[in-house]
Amino acid sequence: MLSVCAHGFILAPIAVVLIYNLLGRDFARRHFVWFAGAGTVWQLGSAFAAFALLWRTGGGSYRFSIFWDMRAPGAAYFELSTLKVFLLLMIGLVSLVSVLVARQTIDANRSSYANLLMILMLGMNGMLLVTDLFSLYVFMEVTGICCFVMIAMFRSRADLEGAFKYLVMSEMASIFLLTGFAFLFMRTGSLRYEDLQGLTATGGLLEDRLVGVAMVLLLSGFSIKTGAVPFHSWLPDAHQSADTSVSVLLSGIVIKIAGVYGLMTVCRLFEGFSSMRTVLAVLGAVSILAGALLAARQGHFKRVVAYSSVSQMGYILLALSTGTTLGLIGALAHILSHAVFKTTLFANAAALHEQAGTLELDEMGGLEERMPKTALSSVIAFLSLAGIPPTLGFWSKLLILLALWQSGKQGLAAFALLASIFTSAYMLRLQKKAFFGHIRDSLTDVREATGTVLAAELLLTALTVLIGCAYPFILSALGAQGLL
Amino acid sequence: MLSVGYMLLTVGVLMVLAGCWCMIRTLHMLKITIGIEVAMKGVTLFLVLAGRVSGQLALSQTFILTIIVIEVVVAVVGTGMAVGLFRKYGSMSVRNLSRLKG
Repeated sequence: MLSVCAHGFILAPIAVVLIYNLLGRDFARRHFVWFAGAGTVWQLGSAFAAFALLWRTGGGSYRFSIFWDMRAPGAAYFELSTLKVFLLLMIGLVSLVSVLVARQTIDANRSSYANLLMILMLGMNGMLLVTDLFSLYVFMEVTGICCFVMIAMFRSRADLEGAFKYLVMSEMASIFLLTGFAFLFMRTGSLRYEDLQGLTATGGLLEDRLVGVAMVLLLSGFSIKTGAVPFHSWLPDAHQSADTSVSVLLSGIVIKIAGVYGLMTVCRLFEGFSSMRTVLAVLGAVSILAGALLAARQGHFKRVVAYSSVSQMGYILLALSTGTTLGLIGALAHILSHAVFKTTLFANAAALHEQAGTLELDEMGGLEERMPKTALSSVIAFLSLAGIPPTLGFWSKLLILLALWQSGKQGLAAFALLASIFTSAYMLRLQKKAFFGHIRDSLTDVREATGTVLAAELLLTALTVLIGCAYPFILSALGAQGLL
Repeated sequence: MLSVGYMLLTVGVLMVLAGCWCMIRTLHMLKITIGIEVAMKGVTLFLVLAGRVSGQLALSQTFILTIIVIEVVVAVVGTGMAVGLFRKYGSMSVRNLSRLKG
């Protein structure tokens, strides 16, 4: 059972792409939602099943290979653990929402969207499952290239511009990462996680110093992919210019798998370096503040939401900087809540773009009257983002604050708490300009969002509230496993 | 042995610097793509060096071949975007890329 789920993470997207491209062109174009949806639903279902199976065995791991013999000496293998399965579940959820949004926003390039979404999922699944750094890099490039093409494939000026900027920054990240890998390889002669674990810089020898340099290079490479603040320039451009269904993917999951999961891997490999945690804490704190301040002065709905992603990634980096199990759980919880509320906000953007025809904040106003359900889901996403109980965001921020406090970083905990005020500030501005107040004359015949976009909004809002209410049970389950 | 190692290191560093200089200095989108390529090829020299130092030359060869394939794909995508922008603006200059700001 577990082996079916595990192999499916790699083989199911490939199978969907193969079957989809055998079909006639018009048929494929008309029914792209079903194929892309089938792939994402399979991912969601198998991730749930795998999570349940692994949880019952007490959080063990499961190793497998696909076409090769993994018992051969030095052979690569895939590995499944509860952490990875949780992130696989997030991939399924966000991709499903993206498909629901795409059904209404994408008209041209439907077949390309379905194919690229599947390959993107394959790339992200691969990144999670592999157990050596070089395969991680290969799957990261698969993810990246799918994203470039998905942003650029509508061929408007803004699309191509955002995609080109993303490509250049992303290749800079690749250069950093590969140089870092080369330095690690020089020291150990292998890039497998198990051979790299427990590296320490004793100083003295040139090769030992190289490990320190490699750590810096890996951190900066994955920070570019995350969009942490000194490296964030590509993120708002790419998110704003992409079609909304693609923005959902980029913000909801790609920056977390390609960036944050990479940083998690680096954290695990370089546990012996305390300087790395300081770097992560500084990056996180700067991202939180700068992202929030920059978000407060943007005039485009999706740009505000994109800068908010930068700011929220900062919280995840802060949680990782503690280096404790509680910090890791806080980071994962925030990945869940960020995925849910950010996809809600992008679904709202899709609804606004479709119904009101604009995403410029200055041209909106008073839309609550015409789009009550969209406004409601947007407000709940805002509450979750600002960390108001009982929504999802409250619990994840609480876990992060507790982790920071427990590891003796009281100052950072206080800073993170105060920075939530900025979060509320820019989100309130967004809500006020888009939804509250008197309706503009030009917008009086706007109607409520329809179909799958509305369904996506309502589904995510329900998730925000329901999982938020169920959190005490989740925490006690975690406590029973001895994780808290 | 050592001299070859130092030569690889020097040439690699020079190629990475040349690629980055190319990316910073030029305004031409194709030249930026070429700069990325040059810097990436410099990085492959680091991998050759790493394979030589650690005695795992075969493994580093497979890495380098894979990287070259990935690089070609990235170059194709980047060039495609540059051509798309050329069709919109009639020039390859990155100064045109100013629609997204803030």
